[in-house]
Amino acid sequence: MSQSLAKQCNEVKERYDTCFLKWYSEKYLRGIGAIDNNECSALFKEYSSCLQVALKERGIDKLLEDAREDNKENDAVYLGRKKCKIRALGPVFLSALMICSRIFIFHV
Amino acid sequence: MVLTHTTNHAYAHPLPTVTLAFFLRYCSPQLNPFAAHVLSTDTISTHVDEATGRLHTTRIHLKKSRMPPSIMKMLPTSLTGGGSVDKASYILETSVVDMREGWMSTESRNLNFVGVLSVVERQLYTAGPAPAPADTTNVATTVVFRSRLGERIRDRLGHHQNQQHPQQPPSHAHQLAPPTDAAQQEAGGSGWFARLGARGIQRSIESLASTKTQDQLGKSREGMRMILERLRQSGIIGVLELRKMARERSAEAA
Repeated sequence: MSQSLAKQCNEVKERYDTCFLKWYSEKYLRGIGAIDNNECSALFKEYSSCLQVALKERGIDKLLEDAREDNKENDAVYLGRKKCKIRALGPVFLSALMICSRIFIFHV
Repeated sequence: MVLTHTTNHAYAHPLPTVTLAFFLRYCSPQLNPFAAHVLSTDTISTHVDEATGRLHTTRIHLKKSRMPPSIMKMLPTSLTGGGSVDKASYILETSVVDMREGWMSTESRNLNFVGVLSVVERQLYTAGPAPAPADTTNVATTVVFRSRLGERIRDRLGHHQNQQHPQQPPSHAHQLAPPTDAAQQEAGGSGWFARLGARGIQRSIESLASTKTQDQLGKSREGMRMILERLRQSGIIGVLELRKMARERSAEAA
């Protein structure tokens, strides 16, 4: 694969990618032991913990959050709400949505 | 404003090979010379859904900006980030493979510059029609361009006007209203936005990006085809070997 965005993760990324591609082509695509890719998960953990640091350093974690937020905002537009920013998830998300809608109704 | 572009394409390779090529398509410029603009590729998450057997993967790619220079020139430095240093864009790619049902769906979207232009590309790969299902793979590609430039200003103005005239729909509020402080700030504080007009800019950005993307789609298909040929000739192990050799060569050169 091409490089990792963080140089220090290159080596472990390389090992993980090779493992993944082998697992994918030799097992997953052939329906052998398709349920998990455990054999690469230890490598992925190592790679991921290296990568998370780099994502934070470059503010990409924030960009990812924004992308999720943006999707929610679009949904909110369709629901008639634009200004209500919903950051929470799951049940909290629903209650936040209800609160937001109520404020909106009052506002109008 | 939104511009949508849809195309269909067929590869003369079976679906499993095409999905493998999808994961391999940025693997090395030696294998895919059309991927020279891809600076890095990382996997953020991956898992197989136990119930469905589907493989879900999220990756992030760093690409040299595909934002055409003509667009960059139109924009104030406050939006483009100034100098020519950081013109790369982060692309978030999510994919789902279902080998039982025989499809792969992918979505790629840019993570930065979304205030200027958001490009979302969705692809659905399916095994070809009945007579020769094992040999061909169809791909339906939809690209949605959306320039939100000025939309936030419109939102704010609409919101502002709504407070004064709750009955008035906010959609036309921006046309006649003079730029507020908020709008000025958003446009880089230079009155730039007021001079050029959001609508024209949005339309230009979307159509320029669309033309550019049609061109890029051709190249990305060429790249996929080269990887597919390699896979046909030497199989995955051969490709992994070639990749390793290419990496070692570039390490020696460095």
